[in-house]
Amino acid sequence: MTTQTQTRGSALLLGKLARRPETGSLIGFVVVFAFFAALGGPVFMGAPGWSSWLNIAAEVGIIALPVGLLMISGEFDISVGSVVPASSMITAMLAGHYDLPALVAICAGLGTGLLIGLVNGLLVTRTTIPSLIVTIGVMFVVMGLTLGFAVLIKGSTSVSYVPDPTTKFLLGQFINNMFNVAILWWLGFAVVFFYVLHISPLGNWIFALGGDPESARNAGIPTAKVTIGLFMASGFCAAFVGVAQVMTYQQAQVAGGQAFIFNSIMCVVIGGVLLTGGAGSILGILLGTLTFAVVNQGVFFAALDPNVGSIIAGALLLAAVLSNDTFRALALSAAAEKG
Amino acid sequence: MISGLLRRPAAASVLSLIGVLAFYVLIGGVDLGTLFSAASWVNYAARIGIVALPVGLLMISGEIDISIGAMIPAGAMTTAIISGHYELPIIFGILGALGIGVIVGTINGVLAVRTNVPTLIITLATLVGMQGVILAGSKLLTGSASVPLTTPDWAKGVFGQLMFNGSHQVLIVWWVIFAVIFWFILHQSRFGNWIFAIGGDKVSARNAGIPVDRMTILMFIGTATAASFVGMCHAMQFNSAQVSGGMNDIFNIIVSVVVGGVLLTGGFGSIPGVFVGTLTFAIVNKGIDFTAIDRNWSNLIIGVMLLVAVAMNESFRKLALSAVSGKAGSSTQNAPRGATTGQSAQ
Repeated sequence: MTTQTQTRGSALLLGKLARRPETGSLIGFVVVFAFFAALGGPVFMGAPGWSSWLNIAAEVGIIALPVGLLMISGEFDISVGSVVPASSMITAMLAGHYDLPALVAICAGLGTGLLIGLVNGLLVTRTTIPSLIVTIGVMFVVMGLTLGFAVLIKGSTSVSYVPDPTTKFLLGQFINNMFNVAILWWLGFAVVFFYVLHISPLGNWIFALGGDPESARNAGIPTAKVTIGLFMASGFCAAFVGVAQVMTYQQAQVAGGQAFIFNSIMCVVIGGVLLTGGAGSILGILLGTLTFAVVNQGVFFAALDPNVGSIIAGALLLAAVLSNDTFRALALSAAAEKG
Repeated sequence: MISGLLRRPAAASVLSLIGVLAFYVLIGGVDLGTLFSAASWVNYAARIGIVALPVGLLMISGEIDISIGAMIPAGAMTTAIISGHYELPIIFGILGALGIGVIVGTINGVLAVRTNVPTLIITLATLVGMQGVILAGSKLLTGSASVPLTTPDWAKGVFGQLMFNGSHQVLIVWWVIFAVIFWFILHQSRFGNWIFAIGGDKVSARNAGIPVDRMTILMFIGTATAASFVGMCHAMQFNSAQVSGGMNDIFNIIVSVVVGGVLLTGGFGSIPGVFVGTLTFAIVNKGIDFTAIDRNWSNLIIGVMLLVAVAMNESFRKLALSAVSGKAGSSTQNAPRGATTGQSAQ
């Protein structure tokens, strides 16, 4: 009798675990990590290996967090790919070309991100145009403005800037000459977003928005404000990465943010966020980002053709979405049984 | 009559085209004669236009395909590896390129109909996966990321020749042929009605007996194969194939289709619109070289044009919907018919 309840209990626990949105991403991460640890050997397991993929994870991860929140609420943000170079250009231009104090330049860079996010949010909430199209349009506008003004003012597509030691220490330092300080910022952002999504009432609103925007509005949730806020968050985070890049590499480039668009979406989806909105977790997004980064960097340590990483990433993405689909069906059926 | 014209899906794209030309003439001081006789933008329009046609169909049915960005280089590499590196007859290269399009399109389509995963993510996975397959495959088989190709005269004449004293690619003719075919499919055959119905309301379409799954898979095969066809023609045109990122093509093609008046949410759009949208995009992107405007601003113009065109589409569609509901009091599924209503009102 007792054993029966126990097995039933453990079966329930397993079922619960399998239904948690991050289980799939945890399994994915463990498998991928074990694969590259076996191929990459001690170098991959040592500090150089860890730092190489954690540095990548931090950069894309800071953007993946708000992009994930947006996707949970049912929206896309493609424009992050243009906000990164735009904000780094503005920061480098103000501090490097016009010799303004670093703080002013950083605030201007971050402000650019907030402003672009505000424009995205207003366009999405005030019109019925899908956010995918709105943010593609804004992306082209921002790319054009960045390139146009960079060439107009500086006459070149890159601006260099040597940050003072304090700024460098805060935003662009390599700890032990290996670990980028952005990793710590990433964790900080993760804590903030964890609080927002899983503890504060705002999180419930975001889930409700993704589940059914109409009902969410009827329930008294200020849907427009939440959406605008989320777009501003993704603009801000993308701008933060841009600013941190200037401080790290002491240079701002006009191009080069496009990889963030699909990479951040992949991290989020591998992390178990449903694109149809309404499901996902910060832990899952973190795991998805780690998985993506391990694949991205692991191929170099495993002496594989780097392009194999691309194949693995594509396969992972497919596996992730297909298993999420199954998990969600499981979770929904369990919920239906209870109710 | 003006409101009837405005309600057609192509209206916004025609207005965008006029707007861009006016802007280039007034601000950029472009000589229209030079612009229209130039080949660069027409060649580019053909490259993205051939893919934009099936993508437009897919978007009218409410789906999206971004794997096309990998399929253009995939088609080129397949042709070059088969007929260039292994020196098999060109017909095998052609069949190989089209075959890989059919295979990837089938994978996309089957996944799209069998799962609830949004097609943006499915095709993102095949995009990333195919990029790896092409690059790794090319390095593995040929040892390089660039493969030369010598094409026999007949194939080069059909797929990769320059016309009119050597600047317009033969691809332009293919684009026009494809446009006519797709126009017939969407606006003259019953398949067109099915596609509009699927985009308007998938469940009702299925209930009405439309083979939704088969149509969706076929349309995904259409996009992937059109992309690999373009790649194949380019490989023959330039006598080699390089593995290069097709990321720009993805957004450029989507922008062309959307400027052409297709709704991303499905159920609304037209082939003339997509055709004009592609022309407009190509003129903005390549025609800027003929103006006094610095080419660096072209992305700004594209972004503004896209947002303005979409805003116009929105308001025109509302006009169309209100006209339809005023007449028949019917549902969104009849939205595309609003175009025809507008036509008959002329």
